[in-house]
Amino acid sequence: MTLTSTPPEAEAPEIGADTPRTPARRAYEWLTPAGLGGGISRGLRGLFGRHTGALDRSAVVVSILLVAIAIIGPFVAPYDPYLAVPADALLPPGSQHWMGTDDAGRDVLSRLLVGAGTTLLAAVAVVLISTIVGVLVACVAVLSPRGVDATIMRICDIFMALPAMVLALGIAAALGPSLGSVVLAMVIAMWPGTTRLVRGILRVTMNAAYVESARVNGIGRFPTLVRHVLPNSLDSVYVQASMEISGAVVLMAGLAYLGVGAPPPSADWGAMVAQGREYITTAWWVATFPGLAITVAAIAFGLLGDVIRVRLDPSLRRKR
Amino acid sequence: MATYIAKRLGLALLSVWGVITIVFFMTKLIPGDAARVAAGRTATAEQVEQARQRLGLDLPVIEQYFLFLGKAVRGDLGESASTHQSVVSDLANTVPTTLQLVVVTMLLTVVIAVPLGALSAALRDRAPDVSARILFVLAGGVPVFWLAILLQWVFASNLGWFPISGANSFGMSPPSVTGFTLVDSLIAGSPAMFGDSLAHVILPALALSAPFMSTIARNVRSNMIGALDTDYVSFAISKGAGPYRVVVHHGLRSTMGSTLTLLGMQFGWMMGAALLVESVFALPGIGTYLNQAVLNQDTFAVLGCVLVIGIVFTVASLVVEVVQIWTDPRVRQSHLTGAQA
Repeated sequence: MTLTSTPPEAEAPEIGADTPRTPARRAYEWLTPAGLGGGISRGLRGLFGRHTGALDRSAVVVSILLVAIAIIGPFVAPYDPYLAVPADALLPPGSQHWMGTDDAGRDVLSRLLVGAGTTLLAAVAVVLISTIVGVLVACVAVLSPRGVDATIMRICDIFMALPAMVLALGIAAALGPSLGSVVLAMVIAMWPGTTRLVRGILRVTMNAAYVESARVNGIGRFPTLVRHVLPNSLDSVYVQASMEISGAVVLMAGLAYLGVGAPPPSADWGAMVAQGREYITTAWWVATFPGLAITVAAIAFGLLGDVIRVRLDPSLRRKR
Repeated sequence: MATYIAKRLGLALLSVWGVITIVFFMTKLIPGDAARVAAGRTATAEQVEQARQRLGLDLPVIEQYFLFLGKAVRGDLGESASTHQSVVSDLANTVPTTLQLVVVTMLLTVVIAVPLGALSAALRDRAPDVSARILFVLAGGVPVFWLAILLQWVFASNLGWFPISGANSFGMSPPSVTGFTLVDSLIAGSPAMFGDSLAHVILPALALSAPFMSTIARNVRSNMIGALDTDYVSFAISKGAGPYRVVVHHGLRSTMGSTLTLLGMQFGWMMGAALLVESVFALPGIGTYLNQAVLNQDTFAVLGCVLVIGIVFTVASLVVEVVQIWTDPRVRQSHLTGAQA
């Protein structure tokens, strides 16, 4: 596998002019080492090979499990997560309810399984959207004249003058309590960081020899950026995004804990901790299990980010 | 150097102004009637109208904005709709509690994380290192509010080693001089009050420090490992320097720069995370105040909190930058010659 930064065309799969470009073919091209998604396939390839340690391997397995739970959770939940059964309130963990029940008699395990979808998928969505927005704005900044570039960076500074927690809390409160407003608030709080990082990388890549030769050959700034600079900068973007997922899970849980997330009856891990807090001395399981779930998710995604970073970060690559 | 700092200060001011502007117009988006909140739930239509005029809410939004800015420059941030006090005096009461929590958290972080990171690097890949690294990973992932609840449950409710919540026990509050209970109790000359204040701050600080400890310890460890591989360390060992001297004098010293930078940045982030911890321990800090203000749609209180946190955040990053320029010739070179990207 060649990891040197060759221009994308050099490694493009052989494809005749008349080969039909089906969606599958396009997806394959996208994931080849030279495609825009090449970093993703490079980062994930050989995750279970000899070079992966036990800790890394378990982090990958747990991450995959968590995503699977987020998707199939609602279908395998043993009880209705919203059905209140007052007679069964605050039952300790047992054979009927593996993680006990909460103050309304709802099964904690079922709520946890359903909440995985809300918490994890929303966190992934936040990172995805803020990364796309961040990269787009960075591209605009790099292509624009100096004044526009400076203005964009000042705007980033303004958004970064508050801790993400405080900014997101304010925005989420202004938009009203719903999952959508929390996602939007977190995107607004997180894109400037991506923009700042990507703009720096793009500017460095702009000075690479192959970019210069592309420009000497008469290719304009915009095509150069899209075809040469961006594909060779995306590895760092994937690294940054994978590192951010863990933080996004914790931030989202924190906002839900403060009461600005999805409104009360919905099962959200952070909100479940807040709800179980009052009963911690008499019914420890209500707050403990959702908190544990947040911790496991944050750690697994954090380690996954580390694994991907070691594989993709150019400055770390040679050491392996 | 002076011009550089002046320029950065100008940009910092610009950032704070930008944040205030954004948040001001954002609070105008909040559905609901601020005048009704201010007048109280049982107010008549007439009283609501009075409150509207008193708070200037009947003016056009742009006019309200400039009125607010003009007053803010003169140190008047308006009146809180829920406490009916001036926001400035509310902030003066709450900010010291948070700053005290953040400072104690920082001390805890340094005292625990730096030696642990150094030890971990010195005993690389042996049992203590592996267990310390597992601890770092755990501390980095655990949500602070959940950790706070667990610590409160185990060490305050069950074991009774620490008080459950609040800033002081009944009758143990020192007379307020600076607002920092630890300082005030020393001024009052009462060791009992000092002990009481300290006991109330330990658990929140411990909970708040977890993610920051993880970052610092990992940073110290990886930098240390790099430093211990260098020629000057081999030379020191061959000259007969003992393990303590090698680790502390040669290894740790070279990691201090990046650790200080990280700590400075964390100061601002801790202000954000303090929000969560304060709510668990019912500490009357700016986080609790902001959270209440947001839930009550208390516009002026929200703006005041954002202003203070924004200032603390930008000042912290400014200080980090200046210290870096001061201590690191490489950074100084790149900044002062304007060679940065």
